[in-house]
Amino acid sequence: MNEGLYFEGMSLLDFARGPAFRWAVAIFIIGIVWRLTALLLVSPKRLEPVKGSATSGGVRTMLTRSAPAHELEKNIIFQHYSGYAWHISMFIVLLFFAPHMMFFKQILGFGWPTLPNLFITFFAVVTMGILLVLLARRLMNPVLRQISTMDDYVSWIIAFLPFLTGIMSFTHITFGMQYETVLALHILSICLLLVWFPFGKLMHALFIWPSRYKVGAAFARRGVRA
Amino acid sequence: MSATTIDYGTLGERAAAGLKPKALSDEQRIARAKEAFLAGIDADMATYLESCIHCGMCAEACHFYISTGDAKYTPIYKLEPLKKVYRRELAPTRWLNRLTTRDITVAELQDWKELAYDSCTQCGRCSLLCPMGIHIQSMIQVVRNGIAAAGLAPAELQAVSDEQRDKATIFGAGPDKLREVAERVRAKGIEVPLDKDKAEVLVLSSALDFLKDDALLAATAKIMNKLGANWTIRSDGFESANFGALAGDVQAQRRISKRVIDAAIAIGAKKVIVAECGHAYPVLRWEAATLYGKELPFEFLSVAEYLGQEVKAGRLKLKKAGNGASHVTFHDPCKLGRMGGSFDDARNVLSALGVKLTEMESHGRTNLCCGGGGGVAMLKGAQGLRQKAFELKREEVERTGAPTVVTACNTCMQTLETGKAWLNWDKDIVNLVQLVSDNLA
Amino acid sequence: MAASKTVGDVLRANGVSRRGFMKFCAATASMMALPPTMVSAVAAAIENARRPSVIWLPFQECTGCLESLTRSHTPTVEGLIFDAISLDFNHTLMAASGQRAEDALDAAVQENWGNYLMLVDGSIPTGEFADYSCTNGHSHLDMLKKYAAGAAAIVTIGTCAAYGGIGRANPNPTQAVGVQDIIKDKPIINVPGCPPIPTVITGVLAHYLTFGTIPELDHHGRPMAFFGQNIHDRCYRRPFYERGLFAKTFDDEGARKGHCLYQLGCKGPVTYNACATLKWNNGVSWPVQSGHGCIGCSEPNFWDKGSFYRPLSAAYYGDARTVGISVAAGAAAGLAAAALARGKQKKAQQEEKA
Repeated sequence: MNEGLYFEGMSLLDFARGPAFRWAVAIFIIGIVWRLTALLLVSPKRLEPVKGSATSGGVRTMLTRSAPAHELEKNIIFQHYSGYAWHISMFIVLLFFAPHMMFFKQILGFGWPTLPNLFITFFAVVTMGILLVLLARRLMNPVLRQISTMDDYVSWIIAFLPFLTGIMSFTHITFGMQYETVLALHILSICLLLVWFPFGKLMHALFIWPSRYKVGAAFARRGVRA
Repeated sequence: MSATTIDYGTLGERAAAGLKPKALSDEQRIARAKEAFLAGIDADMATYLESCIHCGMCAEACHFYISTGDAKYTPIYKLEPLKKVYRRELAPTRWLNRLTTRDITVAELQDWKELAYDSCTQCGRCSLLCPMGIHIQSMIQVVRNGIAAAGLAPAELQAVSDEQRDKATIFGAGPDKLREVAERVRAKGIEVPLDKDKAEVLVLSSALDFLKDDALLAATAKIMNKLGANWTIRSDGFESANFGALAGDVQAQRRISKRVIDAAIAIGAKKVIVAECGHAYPVLRWEAATLYGKELPFEFLSVAEYLGQEVKAGRLKLKKAGNGASHVTFHDPCKLGRMGGSFDDARNVLSALGVKLTEMESHGRTNLCCGGGGGVAMLKGAQGLRQKAFELKREEVERTGAPTVVTACNTCMQTLETGKAWLNWDKDIVNLVQLVSDNLA
Repeated sequence: MAASKTVGDVLRANGVSRRGFMKFCAATASMMALPPTMVSAVAAAIENARRPSVIWLPFQECTGCLESLTRSHTPTVEGLIFDAISLDFNHTLMAASGQRAEDALDAAVQENWGNYLMLVDGSIPTGEFADYSCTNGHSHLDMLKKYAAGAAAIVTIGTCAAYGGIGRANPNPTQAVGVQDIIKDKPIINVPGCPPIPTVITGVLAHYLTFGTIPELDHHGRPMAFFGQNIHDRCYRRPFYERGLFAKTFDDEGARKGHCLYQLGCKGPVTYNACATLKWNNGVSWPVQSGHGCIGCSEPNFWDKGSFYRPLSAAYYGDARTVGISVAAGAAAGLAAAALARGKQKKAQQEEKA
């Protein structure tokens, strides 16, 4: 685990990039594998004849659920498109900023082309803006107030911090803090995200696939496109 | 072709008055509810319950929320007690969850009675919209199971469920009533082969149909005879409705379904035609075999499915429909369409009848529920809510410009009729069986 | 040791014209970010400065810092300034050697006790390894403490003296540390770098000569004038970083076109030095200009920050073995939890049937 990053007098940045990140990754992996075993509960065998292929319905719905029928979608247009905008912008910043790509290249063994920093700045601002708007919405909309839990707000903060610290690092707008400290906080905010990920609603990134598959399969068995 | 509206609410009230409530302590209620939840949650439901991101989009699919704007009708919120028990008892991270998720209480179960029964028809529209792919509809039944196990199901539904389970009657109507109605139909010159020993097709009816008159049985019999089918209707297994399912009483549901299965097996039936009734179809078609424990040697079909198949096969010949049924819109019953897979059958029939069909904006798998299913019609306290929800349906029908609404479910029909009375509506409500029966070639 | 002579005397004696001297003062003032109006003050201060006594103590060092400083092909004014200060002890440069050199040191120190400037290069072994670096039987640790007591200020030359440098790198076999880890009661100016830029050293000394004070220091004790900005902000290749144009190997098209070296491990963003502006070898070039990423040599512990060729943002996520163990641990915990949950379900189902 060391790779020469252990030494006396480690700075906050060294700690963040080194032991903190390693432990965060370990907890991330342990937590995810653990929580995915939720899928292994008892499932009774259904004895009724089916009207369609569950598998093809399931696979289909994993994709088509991203584009619901117009008459269903018309009431949720804002949420629908802001969801897209947030995720797309977030992935652009996460994957196509050159230092981030180098980060992943170390883990995956391969890299990819990146975007100029100007575009990344734009999408980072868009991402943060949408997050703020959606937080305001969650605090004010009656339906969301009814069903929101601590998890929603904690996950929001944990998703927001990497962007906030990232923008602070990138622009060197550090409010009097040293640049390396802000960079360390950026990496620590990622460590926090990794540690929280398996236990909060950020896990939706993984659960969405089996969940959509299952609802698609359930409806397909009844002969209905879901 | 309108019929008198039935006051389900008053019937329910009367039934409820006769209910002997179970004497259970609070601890017992909670324990039983949890047991029902634990027994009912499978791997699919666990996945769904892990997946909710609290986006609230499901609310915008639910006719009860859309028409009232009341946040408590958010579909996923209706599952709250189930979610809690799952998180505390079954989830992989349950030891952590117990720190953040409170246990269910009797007061909560009582509050949820309104959410699981009054304001949910198990129509399944929310399951189509959820971006995470949560099949909310599939879990409402488990919530009902828990509330019923705790002895807290709506008295109206529990009472009729107990009656149907023990006496095989609904509102006092059972085999005797069937025989009486069969006689009246015969008196009209329509043959009703009652209680044959062997037959290929077992036709089901419902005591709920008889509340009105004999028209549905007469129409069905007329069609079956015209088709020359080898059919029967059995006094020991004719009831489509299943109040065990509606109340959430699993044992009752199983016992009630078994009667139909036993009768079908006894006569060696290949097909069982479920009467025009909403919940009856999914309860028999999608749940009965699993509860029975064995694969069944016959297939369940809804009347619309059967008619559609016969029309497509060319065995059922129809005239062009007239008499004000020339321009129609079709109201897809949720339980036959979205939760049953039958959309084209009814439309093939309408096509053979030569009617002009204008679809509502939400039709087929995305149709809007009429608001009456799931036993909601029996709950007088829910009437205001149903009225509001019906506004959405009314609006969509108006926009089609069609003067007639055709449907293939008696509950939908009754709800539409009731709505018509509330709103002084000028539309004609027609059911498919009647339309076919009136236009046999 | 003509300590009574002024710096101005020495310069004139060496044929430096007034004009040449003023040019140097203007350049020095500019380097220290002083306004032009201060040039005459700088000139007056330097000209009239008594040649302060300076002792240079080399410890566990490679002599690279001294080489950097004194390497000059033609005499420069910087070199003359060094002659101008009374460099009373530097055992590499001075003519004397052995006991006579030691005696010269002690004499200078006693004569100027409390007023001499002490320059240090090299790290200092401590603890049970203190004797691993000695001169004339005295450990460098003892020498440091002894001579620091009479110094007006200490200037550490190079990363080793400032922070421990390569001697301190993992596993630090001599328990080496920098001066500031031992001396706590004297002003210390750190001039790190491996080695430091020559003009940075003379600039710091010029400041001390002119004002008699310690220049403004950052949190690592380095003069802000030279170490106040990071390499990344002054790098001439920065536009390529912004535009997303990188060299991916040392001889690909990007390298030949002089694109940003971030992906080849450049530590510019977290390194504070004057290399990008002052450059080396009298402004000829510096590492990035020559096509090699900055290695961060003016930062504490830069040897232990992972490979010089590993990009700054590359993840230290562990290794495949750790990932494998984590997966196994998660699976074990999860399957156990699932088995228990299934047991609960089955029990509930049986009780329901009953």
